[in-house]
Amino acid sequence: MGEFKVHRVRFFDYMPTAIRAMAFNAHTERLALARMDGSVEIFNFTDHYFQEKVIPGKDSRSIESLCWVGGRLFSAGLNGEIAEYDLENLRPKYSLEAYGGPIWTIISNTQGTQLAIGCEDGTVKLFEVLEEHIQFERNLDRQKGRIISLSWHPSGTHIAAGMMDMIRVFDVPTGHAVQRLLVDRGFGGSKSRETVVWSVAFLSDHTVVSGDSAGKVQVWDGHTGTLVKTHLVTKWDVLALSVSKDESSVVAGTSEGTVIQFQFIAPTLHQQQGKEWVRTRTFKNHTHDVRALAEIETAIVSGGMDTHLVVRPLLEKFDEKSHASGLRKIHFPHRNLVSCAKKVGLLLFQFPGQLELWRLGDSDGHGKPGDRLPLERMPEKLLLLKRKGEDHICCSALSSCGGWLAYSTVSCVRIYRLQTDNNNISITKVSKLPKALHSAHQLCFSSDSSKMFAASSQSSVLVIALTQSECKYVHTLKPKSGSRQPIHLMTTSVDGKWLAAANSDCEIHVYNLQKLKLHCIVPVYGSCPSAMGIHPTTNNLTVVHADQQLFEYSIVEKQYTDWSRKLQKQGLHNVWLDRDTPVTHVTFNSKNPNQVVLHDMHMFCIIDQSLPLPDQKTQFYNQMTLRSLSEQERPSHLHAFKICKTFQDLLCVSLLDDQSLVVVERPLLAITSQLPAPVRQKKFAT
Amino acid sequence: MAKKLLRTSPSSSNKFNSANMTDDFQLHLDSSDDDAPEEVTFEESKASALRSMKNALETSKREKDLLKEKRRKRQEMFQEQKKRRLLPAHILEEIDTAPSKKQKLPRDQAESNHEEAYCSWEEGREGSKEGYEKETKKGFKGNIRRLKGNYSVMRVADQSSTNSQQQTAMDFIQARLYGPGSQRTTNNEVLSLQNKRGPNKSAAMQFVNKKWGTEKKAKAEKLKKQWIQKRKVPSS
Repeated sequence: MGEFKVHRVRFFDYMPTAIRAMAFNAHTERLALARMDGSVEIFNFTDHYFQEKVIPGKDSRSIESLCWVGGRLFSAGLNGEIAEYDLENLRPKYSLEAYGGPIWTIISNTQGTQLAIGCEDGTVKLFEVLEEHIQFERNLDRQKGRIISLSWHPSGTHIAAGMMDMIRVFDVPTGHAVQRLLVDRGFGGSKSRETVVWSVAFLSDHTVVSGDSAGKVQVWDGHTGTLVKTHLVTKWDVLALSVSKDESSVVAGTSEGTVIQFQFIAPTLHQQQGKEWVRTRTFKNHTHDVRALAEIETAIVSGGMDTHLVVRPLLEKFDEKSHASGLRKIHFPHRNLVSCAKKVGLLLFQFPGQLELWRLGDSDGHGKPGDRLPLERMPEKLLLLKRKGEDHICCSALSSCGGWLAYSTVSCVRIYRLQTDNNNISITKVSKLPKALHSAHQLCFSSDSSKMFAASSQSSVLVIALTQSECKYVHTLKPKSGSRQPIHLMTTSVDGKWLAAANSDCEIHVYNLQKLKLHCIVPVYGSCPSAMGIHPTTNNLTVVHADQQLFEYSIVEKQYTDWSRKLQKQGLHNVWLDRDTPVTHVTFNSKNPNQVVLHDMHMFCIIDQSLPLPDQKTQFYNQMTLRSLSEQERPSHLHAFKICKTFQDLLCVSLLDDQSLVVVERPLLAITSQLPAPVRQKKFAT
Repeated sequence: MAKKLLRTSPSSSNKFNSANMTDDFQLHLDSSDDDAPEEVTFEESKASALRSMKNALETSKREKDLLKEKRRKRQEMFQEQKKRRLLPAHILEEIDTAPSKKQKLPRDQAESNHEEAYCSWEEGREGSKEGYEKETKKGFKGNIRRLKGNYSVMRVADQSSTNSQQQTAMDFIQARLYGPGSQRTTNNEVLSLQNKRGPNKSAAMQFVNKKWGTEKKAKAEKLKKQWIQKRKVPSS
C-alpha cells in the first residue's frame, strides 16, 4: 500500500441543530425527530437506527411537537399551524391554520380518530382525522392561561392539560373542565415565578404524572384531584415526560441533561404493600437540556439542546450483553454533506442556508508518515452561495471537473456554471430549467459532466443533458417495482454507462444510460444501503448497508462477484459489525484497482481485495502491530481491512485524482463550544 | 364671675389689622411701664386668630389657584402646538382607512373571524401608522409603491414572518429557560471543569485549546501592549 498525502480539512463549520420533539410509531418502528430549524428526520429503529429520511426545514416553520396517527405524521408549532408531512415526497403535504395563536403541543387519541392541540389562547382544539386531511371539530372550554402540554387518557374520554400553575382535566364529550390540580411553586426566589407544567402523562388508571419548571415530578389521582406523591428531582426544569407502553415506567428529562426513570413497583418485597411510583434510575447522557424523550419497548431515546440523539437500551430487557444492548449516540447525519471535485481539488460544503465552495491548499514537501507538511498555498473559500427563499437546501452536487454546481430545495432546483481561471471564479446561473425538474431528493453529475441526474418522486430519476450553458430534459428513468419511496443514494460509473439508485425500500436499481432503461435490480437485502460506489474499471457496484454488511455486485454480469461471495461465506469480522455509525461514502483508487476506500464517523478503511480476508480470530485493527513487525514477518499478518483511526469525527473521506486523500473532520468539541448555555452545577472542590 | 383671660395676641403683630393695630398703638402710646398689661378678651383674640388663619388659608388657596391656572394654560399651549405639528384630521382619516384595508387583506382572511378580532384590528391600526411613517421616511424607495389615488402596495413577504404572538411565545420560552433566575453558565466553564476533574487533569479550555476564545485573547493582548506603553511613557 502506498503513502498518501492527506489534506486534513477542519474548515467545514457544520453545526447541527438542537432536537426539539420526537414521536415514536410503535407499528412501523420509526422515530420522527423534529429539530429547531424546522427539519424532520425519520429513523428506522429496526435497521440499526438508520436515518432513513430527512425533510428539510424552512425559515418560517417552527415545530414544537410531533404526533403519529397510524402512518401519518403531524406537527404543530409556534406559527399557529398544523402540518401533515408527505413521507414519500419528503415535504409537508399541507398546513392548516388553527386560529388559536401559537400551538404548544399536539396529541392524538389511541383510536387514531382525533387530534387535540394546546394553544396559547387557552383553548384545547379537537380536530377530526379524515382520509386525506384533518378538519376542525370543536373547542373544549377555554381557559385563562396558555396550554403547554396535553395528554389523552387511553380510553379517549379525558384529556389532561398542563398550564401555568395548574393542571386541568377535561371531559372530552362535554368539553368541560372537571378537575383542577394546583401545582406548587418552587422554593425561595422562584416563588414569585409561575410554575409551568412542561409535560403531563395520563395513565389508564386515571393517574396523572406531571413534570414542571420547579423541578418536580408529581403523581396525582385524576379522579379525586389530589396529589399522591411529589418527587423533587432537580433544581432546574423537568422538560419532558414519556410513558412506556405497559405503563409501568415513566421517564423524565431535565434541564441538567439527566433522564430519570420512575417505575411502578412495590417499594418493598412484601406482597401486601401496594405498588407506587418509585424513582429508580438516572441516566446522564447529555450535557445540555433534554427536550425530547420517548420510551420505547427496550430503550429510552432522548434528545435535546446538545443536538445528538441518544438511545439507551434498558439492560433488563436483554438476556445477554450484546451489540444491541449498548448505548448509541447519533451525532452526524447518515448522508454526505460534502461533495468533492476529484479532478481539480474543490470541495462543496452543504449548509441548510448556503453552499460554500473551497479550493484545497497545496504543499510540495515530502516527509515521513505522520509528518505535517508546510502549506505553500492556503485553502481558500472561493464561493459562498446563499439560497433564495425560505426552504432549506436538501441536497447539492459538484461535478468532478468543478465546472457545474447544483442544489435543490423542496420547491426549486438551481444549476450553476462555474468557470475558474487561476485567480478568478465566475458563476452563472442556468436559467430556463426543464419544467419536470422542480425539486430533487438527490443530485448527481456524470463523470464527464455532460449529464445531471435528479432523483424525483416515486423513485424515478430525471436525466438532464448539460451543454455549454443550458440544460435540456432527456428522459425519466422509472423503476419497475413501482415503489413510492424516495431515493436517498445515487452513483454513476466513471465510463458514463451505468447509474445506480437506492431508495428507502432497500431496493437498488441499476440503469443503462446508453439505452436509457433499467438494466437490473440488485437482490434486495433487509437493511437499507448507506453508501454505494461503482468501480471505475471493473464496474462492480460496492454497497455497504446500515447493518455494516458489505456486498460487491457485478453490473455487467448481473450477479455478485466472487470476492463478495467469499466475504459472505467467511463472514465479516465482529469488530467491523459492532461499529455503531454507518459508512457514508465509498470511493476507489484510480491507480490501484484493488482498493476500496470507505469511512464512517470514527475511522476510514482501505479494503485491499488482493489480500486475504480476516477471520474471527485475527486482530482487526492491526496497523500498529504491522508497523512494529519487520519486513519479512509482515506479509503473513496482513489482511484486507486496513483501518485508520487517526482522524476523528469524520464527515467525508475522499481520494483525489492526484493520489491525495481529503479528510474532512468536524471535532465534536468545536460543536459543543457553539451550543447554548448549559446549567450551572456546583461541583465539590471547584 | 368669670375671669377674663389675659392673653397677648402675637398674630396680630404680624398681620395688618387696622382695628387691632390702632388699639394697640393707642394702648402703646398711652401705657407706661407701671400700668398693668392690657386686657384683651378671649373672644377678641380668638376672633383675630381665626381671621388670621382664614387669611392664611385664603392666600394659600389663591396661590394654588394661580398655579393651576398657569399649568392649565401651559397644557393648552402644548396641545395647540401638538395639533399644529400633526397633519390635518382629514388626511389622517384617509390614511387610517386605506392602508389598514390593504393590511387586512394580505393577512389571513379568517383572522377577522378570530375571537380576538378586536385586538388584531388594533394591531393593524398601529401597524398602518408605522407603515405610513416608514413610507414618509423612505419616500419612494423601499418596497411600498403608491398608486393613483391614496392606495399603496406592499408585499406580504416583506413584513416579518413571525407575528407578535409567535414572538411573545418565543420570548416566553427563552425567558423561562435562559432568562434571569435560570442559573446558566458557559460551555467554557463546563468543559474546563471536566478538564479539572477528569482522569487526566489539565487546565481550563481557553489555555488548552489554542483556538478557544480568540477574540478575548486578542483583546487581552492589545490591552497588555497598551499598559506596557503607558508604563514606558511616564517613566521615559
